[in-house]
Amino acid sequence: MTEPKSDRKHWARDLKVTLWTLIVPPTIWAVHFLFCYLWVAVTCAKSSTPGTALTGFPLATLIATIVALLGIVAAGYIARVQSETPGDPAPHEQGTAIDRLRFLALSTRLLAGLSFVAVIFTALPVIMFGDCR
Amino acid sequence: MTTESTQYIAPDQNNPAVRKGQEDRLREVWKPPSGWFFRWTDVNNNRIGVWYTLTAFGFMLFAGVLALIMRTQLAVPNNDLVTANTFNQLFTLHGSMMMFLFAVPMFEAVSIILLPQLLGARDLPFPRLSGFGYWSFLIGGVFVSGSIFFDAAPDGGWFMYPPLTTRTDLSGLGADIWMLGLSFIEVSSVAAAVELIVGVLKCRPPGMRLNLMPLYAWYILVVAVMILFAFPPLIAGDVLFEMERLLNWPFFNAEKGGDPLLWQHLFWIFGHPEVYIVFLPSIALFAMLIPTFAQRHLLGYPWIVLAAVGTAFLSFGLWVHHMFTTGLPKISLAFFAAASEAVAIPTGVQIFVFIATLWAGNVKKSTPLLYASGSLAVFVIGGLTGVMVAVAPFDWQAHDTYFIVAHLHYVLIGGTLLPLFAGLYYYWPLVTGKKLSDKLGRIAFWIMFVGMNLTFFPMHLSGLLGMPRRVFTYPEELGIGGLNLASTAGSYMFALGVLIVCIDLALSPRRPKAPRNPWNAGTLEWLALPDDEDWGIRSVPLIESRYPIWDQKNFVQKVDEGRFFLPDAEEMRRESIITTVLDARPLQVIRLGTPSVKPMMTAVALAGVFILTTYHLYIWSAVSGVATLACVLWWLWTGTAEIPEKPTKHIGHGIEVPLYTSGPSAPGWWAMFITMMADATAFSGLVFGYFFFWTIHNDFPPSGVGLNGPGVFWPMVALALTLTGWAATVGAREVHRRCNVGAGRALLIVGIVATLASLFAGLAGPWYSGLDPELHVYPAIVWTLAIWTAVHAAIGVIMQAYTLARSLAGKMTPIYDADLRNITVYHHFLALTGIVTFCTIGLFPGVA
Amino acid sequence: MRKAIFLSVGACLPLLAACNRHQSTLAPFGEEADKVLSITIVLVIGAIILAGGLALLMRHAMRAPEGRLTHKGGMKLVLWLGGIGPSILLLGLLLYALPAMRPREVANSDLRIGVEGEQFWWRVRYAPPGGSVVETANELRLPVGRTVELSLRSPDVIHSFWVPGLAGKMDMIPGRTNRLVVRATKAGTYRGVCAEFCGLGHALMAFDVIAMEPAAFERWLAAQRQPATVTASPGARLFASYGCSGCHSVRGVGPVAKIGPDLTHFGSRPTLAAGVLPMTHANIAGFVRDPGKTKPGVRMPAFPQMSAAEADQIASYLQGLK
Repeated sequence: MTEPKSDRKHWARDLKVTLWTLIVPPTIWAVHFLFCYLWVAVTCAKSSTPGTALTGFPLATLIATIVALLGIVAAGYIARVQSETPGDPAPHEQGTAIDRLRFLALSTRLLAGLSFVAVIFTALPVIMFGDCR
Repeated sequence: MTTESTQYIAPDQNNPAVRKGQEDRLREVWKPPSGWFFRWTDVNNNRIGVWYTLTAFGFMLFAGVLALIMRTQLAVPNNDLVTANTFNQLFTLHGSMMMFLFAVPMFEAVSIILLPQLLGARDLPFPRLSGFGYWSFLIGGVFVSGSIFFDAAPDGGWFMYPPLTTRTDLSGLGADIWMLGLSFIEVSSVAAAVELIVGVLKCRPPGMRLNLMPLYAWYILVVAVMILFAFPPLIAGDVLFEMERLLNWPFFNAEKGGDPLLWQHLFWIFGHPEVYIVFLPSIALFAMLIPTFAQRHLLGYPWIVLAAVGTAFLSFGLWVHHMFTTGLPKISLAFFAAASEAVAIPTGVQIFVFIATLWAGNVKKSTPLLYASGSLAVFVIGGLTGVMVAVAPFDWQAHDTYFIVAHLHYVLIGGTLLPLFAGLYYYWPLVTGKKLSDKLGRIAFWIMFVGMNLTFFPMHLSGLLGMPRRVFTYPEELGIGGLNLASTAGSYMFALGVLIVCIDLALSPRRPKAPRNPWNAGTLEWLALPDDEDWGIRSVPLIESRYPIWDQKNFVQKVDEGRFFLPDAEEMRRESIITTVLDARPLQVIRLGTPSVKPMMTAVALAGVFILTTYHLYIWSAVSGVATLACVLWWLWTGTAEIPEKPTKHIGHGIEVPLYTSGPSAPGWWAMFITMMADATAFSGLVFGYFFFWTIHNDFPPSGVGLNGPGVFWPMVALALTLTGWAATVGAREVHRRCNVGAGRALLIVGIVATLASLFAGLAGPWYSGLDPELHVYPAIVWTLAIWTAVHAAIGVIMQAYTLARSLAGKMTPIYDADLRNITVYHHFLALTGIVTFCTIGLFPGVA
Repeated sequence: MRKAIFLSVGACLPLLAACNRHQSTLAPFGEEADKVLSITIVLVIGAIILAGGLALLMRHAMRAPEGRLTHKGGMKLVLWLGGIGPSILLLGLLLYALPAMRPREVANSDLRIGVEGEQFWWRVRYAPPGGSVVETANELRLPVGRTVELSLRSPDVIHSFWVPGLAGKMDMIPGRTNRLVVRATKAGTYRGVCAEFCGLGHALMAFDVIAMEPAAFERWLAAQRQPATVTASPGARLFASYGCSGCHSVRGVGPVAKIGPDLTHFGSRPTLAAGVLPMTHANIAGFVRDPGKTKPGVRMPAFPQMSAAEADQIASYLQGLK
């Protein structure tokens, strides 16, 4: 598995990788989820009639979803580049600095995948429901 | 093997006499206390872990017997073996005990045994905290479970929905026993979580970078962090709950503006992650034993980390799926249905990682693997019904019926109980040096497996056929008598299987010792000798692989001959190595706590606070509270942040590390930081309450006598004082660090005065505006926030005074300043609490 | 098609043969329950296929010789079967099942029925469009083919309104009003229960649900609106002297009392004590003297001083309230 591209220097590899960067994609999911839920919960709890329409919510969800997905894709892209840092032999399970970086980056990348799917799932209901009933 | 230092000459590990000397010293240092009483003051993880495990196992058996009584009552329609009252106590206690006294503590107990072994550490970083956790758990557990013998057990169901449980005319002492007894245990759970997180992050052996950590450690880290964020909302709920029961503050009383749904939110924000908190550790056991029996590395290590972290996050977005029938807007339900489906993805990933590993490896059939594969089968069925009930319309039918009873038992038996039995058969040789009987184990497995399915599979149907859960009887016309009889028969069969396991355990002392590492596993914990030494590990190894016993040359021999780090206890102290979070570079050698009566006394005193409050003995409870504080201060003063006799120590291989660190590299700082994260989460639960009440009321704050307040003036004064106290503390840390001890002390005094003043100013707002908390939920929640902050300010003052005293007593110097640095972390959080509280109660009414 | 699946499930499980048709999610008589049953069948079939597939795969994996699956192959397996496959499947499931949550539209001309769960019985108020409110208890009558909006409330603790054959359950929470919109499709007598644990008598808090043809329903409602047709009887006098009328209304006879169930047309109900006992003379007489014996936790006090003869007379009086 040698990618010619991965030999070149890449700006993303200069970024620091820690346990905190690992949780960036799911944190984006959490913020997006809370945004959607709280908007609906507050609007509906504050209204007196059950049929109150969620005006503006579909557009807000669309924007929030795009922003969230872009963030996740960005985190995933950086993680992807980092997870292909050259040096050290496969299967990259050694106790070296590069393998540790590759491991954290690969985990981040996988989490980005999961978060991407989860954000899409979260945004789905807005297609089906438009009011507080 | 050469050293840089000229004075220091490394011991010659080739010389057997040198090694013998080291071993004698280690043995002496790690010798357990003896005597009929003092043996119980031990804090070594080997002993505490075993006590903890046995106690949790005992509670499990007890709760199981309760279930058998229930099943007997339900064997036939219209049965009258037990009364409705007894039955309600039975199911409440069964559920509560299995969750709070078995599943979560069992994970912590097993982790206390395993974690140091897995990480090649001699013990956990705070052994006395383990002791404290154990004694709290034992006292609280006996208090809660014993109540059934006095016909005073809680009887509101394990999720204790108000107002049934908060109205003192509808529920008795049992509700207080549940709330206060289990709150006490929750505190000890959080304490254990703090210890496990610090253990995983800071106590790994040199070289064990994050990517080489045993997967069990990854799971412990994830689960402990989940406990940190899941339990505090419940603790916040408990606070509100008891305020309502004891003081009549109407948080859940709709007539006075409260709302029963707030409890449901707080409970399930805890309750759903809880399911994963008890499930992930079992998967962690699989992740240890499956590679062993496939005789190869686990395939897809990063995938497991993805699954663990992903599950942890998603599990906090599921709580409303327990509230699908509460009438919330359908679109809200849909968000949670979506997240509930999404969480199935990481769970699926884990299962396929195991399948792939077994597929690629050379599978060695064994009893632990039998349990593991059997429990996966059971769990998969529970998981699939989980996907079904996540579909909200289906849940509207299935919710609160026996379908759910079936689902949750498939999940919990397949995802917690059977995996623990797998772990029992796998790790028994590690703890006792002896194997359990393969034959009895297999017989027990098949009896349990069949019994389990016979018990719970028919329940899917009885649920769909209209049987609600928590009924002490059911009419014959429902046509579910046959299904229930089958369930009852199955439950006795399951109990027989458990009995056989118990017999197997009881026969163990008569069996011969097994060889070392009997399963030919590759991970560190199997370095343990059949005749275990209390020092944990002979020398702390340098790790270069995920499976060092398999992959590193002469690994076992080198460890045993003390050729790695810290092979000695020259100063006759219990020691362990602290390393960096990401790459496990040695940072420090810490001196660990030794056997002491202090943790036990603290636990007893704290238990007094909770138990005496249950019986409304407030004065004695306050006395107990003061005693607890005294115990804690005594414990800290005599046992922590001790200035070492020399600044550094050689640990071998030319590495010399300090014996004392402070700030972010020290485990104590991390413990404070993590504890305060939990504290801040509990606080956010209360703030959530405030805004929740705001959303459901159009007039919030309401107007009327006793309802107006607390104004803007006093909250802002309190805020200014809190921030002054904070700034003084931070300033003290800074000037003190620069060797200006006098100015540091002066600033601490300023801090004490300002923080103490903020305490009174914070309470002055609601006090002078005459807010009456019994009248309406608004004054009640304002008072609660103000009191929470005041209590924290009081603790902050005690900390500042303690630090000042340490400085005056010469126990803290500009170099050895861990106390001051740790309390600064506390004061950061106190400042945050103050900002949120005073802005909310003081400014929000103006903008709402 | 659905019948065929039903039959095959029934054939596999002889235990099912005895199953009831009046309180079962598998025997729907309302459109909502019917919709959920379709979803249930799809979910069950899907779950069986997945569980079976996984079991076969697991068996295969355990038996495969070492190295049959390479590292790369294993990663592909995890990615496709563990990650991407479930994501697509679950996305499909959400798109299929979530729209079923959309509530039925309610028009102003639709019937509204208020149901209050109380420890441990049900207060039912019919508010037909243009008509006056009629209160009964422990019995819900529905016109077949008409949309009905149920307003669910509770004055004491949380209960949950569940008629398995009609629709999914909905909680009754103090301080809140929850709405459940239903439409019955098949006339008959069914049963509903409380599904949220609500105290000692939770297991014995049920009610009859009677779906009627609309014309019959209108006639019944008109009859319910009438006060009791009562003759002065020893039972009626005892009813008053034992203080029963302090809690129970018998419209047209005694004072208005709202604490216990309205008994104006008590004799016309099929069951007694919130769906627990058949409406027989002996049952009424027994229940009146010692209700706690049948129903633990019941709010109605026992009358140990009441003689068997007196209880008989009260029972006759109550049974006569048609």
